[in-house]
Amino acid sequence: MRKYRQTKSPDICSSECEVLLATPDELSAYIDKELPAWKRHLIGWHLKKCKICADRVQRLQQTDGFLRHAGGVEVSDDFLSGVMARVSEVAQHQRQHNALRSRVARFIETSFGWTRSLSILMGSLRYNIRTRSPVYIFVLTFAVFTMVGVTLYPPSGDRLAQKSHELELNAEKLISFEVIQPEPPKRLLTTYLQAK
Amino acid sequence: MFVSDEDLMMRCRKGDIGAFELLVRRYQNPLINYIHRSINDYHRAEDISQETFLRVFKSASRYEPTASFRSWLYTIATNLCRNEIRNRSRRNTYFFEDLVEEGEDVYHTEIMRDTRYLPDVLLEKKEQRQMIRKALAQLPENQRVALTLVTYQDLRYEEVAGILGCSVGAVKALIHRARQKMKKLLIKAGIGEERVDEKI
Ligand SMILES: [Zn+2]
Repeated sequence: MRKYRQTKSPDICSSECEVLLATPDELSAYIDKELPAWKRHLIGWHLKKCKICADRVQRLQQTDGFLRHAGGVEVSDDFLSGVMARVSEVAQHQRQHNALRSRVARFIETSFGWTRSLSILMGSLRYNIRTRSPVYIFVLTFAVFTMVGVTLYPPSGDRLAQKSHELELNAEKLISFEVIQPEPPKRLLTTYLQAK
Repeated sequence: MFVSDEDLMMRCRKGDIGAFELLVRRYQNPLINYIHRSINDYHRAEDISQETFLRVFKSASRYEPTASFRSWLYTIATNLCRNEIRNRSRRNTYFFEDLVEEGEDVYHTEIMRDTRYLPDVLLEKKEQRQMIRKALAQLPENQRVALTLVTYQDLRYEEVAGILGCSVGAVKALIHRARQKMKKLLIKAGIGEERVDEKI
């Protein structure tokens, strides 16, 4: 098993280190190559001179290397197929959902189309019919009177029934007229005399 | 020819499931390992990885290539891991204390069962993995997430800052503190200097 290098831990840092490294976090950023180039070069130069900082960096690198080389788990073979099976289920569901949505959208579009054409028609009518034209006034008055009349004197059911009964009677009369046997024709005077 | 994650995601947006399968192939291993290190339960890690991929697929139609796919994927996974940990603590099951054998991956335990004489290297690796998992589990959540993303997922500090919702400076501090704490924990676990000192 790999062991950490045996070194004495430095407690006090020189003033140059403090000036160079505003915070000790910079050393971690240095080993992760997360610092700007100028700062990397500066720290690189300092590490060549300063044993304390060089040790710190080495310890951090050891920890990092130890973590990295520990490895991980291998994914099971059926993981991918499991994910893709669920993905195709979701895809199918989405397709159905999209089809329904597009159908509703088409319905709304067509109904909007109807209302649009209707409004265009109404607009042109409004444009064509002059409100002061006598025909327009007559039609309007007739419509209003009919509506008022129908509201005030609604056709009653009894009267209608009576009307229909009368009609039935007439029909019966017609039928009975057809059924009556024709009377034998009266004898003419000449035929009567001849018989005598 | 290498196709970038973002291009694959754009193809997926147009309904190409094959492109999504490529993305799953590309990220299944690192994602499961990341989640496994975060929650320390392999079977739950598989479930959460599957959920992460499904969420990515479901929101593919809203994906804009301005954001890095990798950062987006790990943001979703990190949030799901946080939920998982929160749910566990609600259920009062603290997994990170007793994880010596529980979290060991299926394949290596299979190997252990079948092989009578294990090579030293394998045993060493297994021990290392267990110790590291134990040590990682003892880190505060944000330190663990930051260190795992940088060390194992090779994410830049900026990407980690985006995932954690903090500044790059804060990530720098988190990583440094996490490494220092890890060093102490590993020494405590018996792989550090102190053990060497003891022997001497
Ligand atoms: Zn120094």
